[in-house]
Amino acid sequence: MAERPRTYKTEGVVLRRRNIGEADSIFTVFSEDQGKFDAVAKGVRKARSHMRGHLEPLTRSRFLIAQGSSLDVFTQAETITAYRGVREDLDRGAEAIYCAELVDRLTVERQEHRDVYELLLDELDALDAGCPLHVTRLFEVRLLAMLGFELQVDGCATCGSRLAEEDQLLAPAAGGLVCPSCRAGAGAGRRISPRAIKVLRFARDASMERFAGLRVDAGLGRELHLALADVIRAVLEREVNAGRFVEQVARLPASHSVTSRDVQ
Amino acid sequence: MANTPGTPEPISRLIEAFHKLPGIGPKSAQRLSYHVLRMPEEQALALATAIMDVKRRIVLCSVCMNITEADPCAYCQDSRRDRTLVCVVEEPLDIVAVERTGFRGMYHVLHGVLNPIDGIGPEEIRVRELLERLKAGEIREIIMATNQSLEGEATAMYIQRLAGPAGVRVTRLARGLPSGADLEYTDDVTLARAFEGRQEI
Repeated sequence: MAERPRTYKTEGVVLRRRNIGEADSIFTVFSEDQGKFDAVAKGVRKARSHMRGHLEPLTRSRFLIAQGSSLDVFTQAETITAYRGVREDLDRGAEAIYCAELVDRLTVERQEHRDVYELLLDELDALDAGCPLHVTRLFEVRLLAMLGFELQVDGCATCGSRLAEEDQLLAPAAGGLVCPSCRAGAGAGRRISPRAIKVLRFARDASMERFAGLRVDAGLGRELHLALADVIRAVLEREVNAGRFVEQVARLPASHSVTSRDVQ
Repeated sequence: MANTPGTPEPISRLIEAFHKLPGIGPKSAQRLSYHVLRMPEEQALALATAIMDVKRRIVLCSVCMNITEADPCAYCQDSRRDRTLVCVVEEPLDIVAVERTGFRGMYHVLHGVLNPIDGIGPEEIRVRELLERLKAGEIREIIMATNQSLEGEATAMYIQRLAGPAGVRVTRLARGLPSGADLEYTDDVTLARAFEGRQEI
């Protein structure tokens, strides 16, 4: 590994926390300039810890970190954005936790990915601002592309032929849509409607703002969610734990709070 | 470590057992094992019995899920406590802290919090048991006393959404500054909530 100074400053989003010993926790951060890394915060679970609130998962903070022999150690932390709108709304919080898990599972330690960092901030900003929850679909499409798993949605992923505007098969193993003649060798897949295909194409380079403005009804939202979940499951070769939580929250009786009334 | 040649098998087994405890590394496990070896027999036996008793005699209270020797537990049997009020906590130890405040309602122990990334969902903690209790109709208010972490907040909101339609009032402990806190170091969310919850003096 390249030489790093004894202490360094960085900013990032806290993805997750694991408690160790009496009062310490290890935090996984996705940082602006070093990608994902783990570091320990000593005594952070004590009520009077100065860093406690600044290291809560889903917080964007600035850190001062000391290089340790095995694990680096947080010495200071200061919040940049607390994303209160995400934290205090169960539906938004669940989406954000899901995105954090995706970034954690799909990225490699200490590998810089500014594009992923920007994307994560865009997603958290959008959820915090009260955008419809389908913004997570743009997050998924872009994250996959940035990490080398771009979904082929223009033509057939196998032979490249043009696709008619009708229901198509999305085959995760083939890396995208497959035409009727290639289906035999493409492995398992899911039928996907022309409407959903258009949204997937739009998600590749639309701004978060424009994507949030799309009208996505419950049926289309569900279709897109299931299709991308298939692809992600195939890439990771496992389930995303927080995905189950998103579904459990979606099944709950509707919230009475103002923030989530407009969520469909 | 444990399987150092020449270490008698019972000792290496004890070392292994200690090593499985949280915060006990290989060296501490060795030291503890040799300490036990030199203990007077009755002291060692007392330790062994204490461990067995914890496993054999402690059960979960069938009402509140607290750990107890007698089911229902002392809190659930106490007729002087307010049965319409239930304080929901993460762990049995939290009850000790809440009792010190003079709270005299009932409890419910979740044995954890929702932690979606680690795969801890509502089925993994004692949420269903709480909902069952609500059905009896005696409970009028649930006080969510989970920790003020992302996970604790999510758990509180989750239960609020489930219990709300049952006509039960769901409240959350006030959030703000702990005593002795330094404003300078306080995070934005805590400080903002402290402002919202400010009181006349």
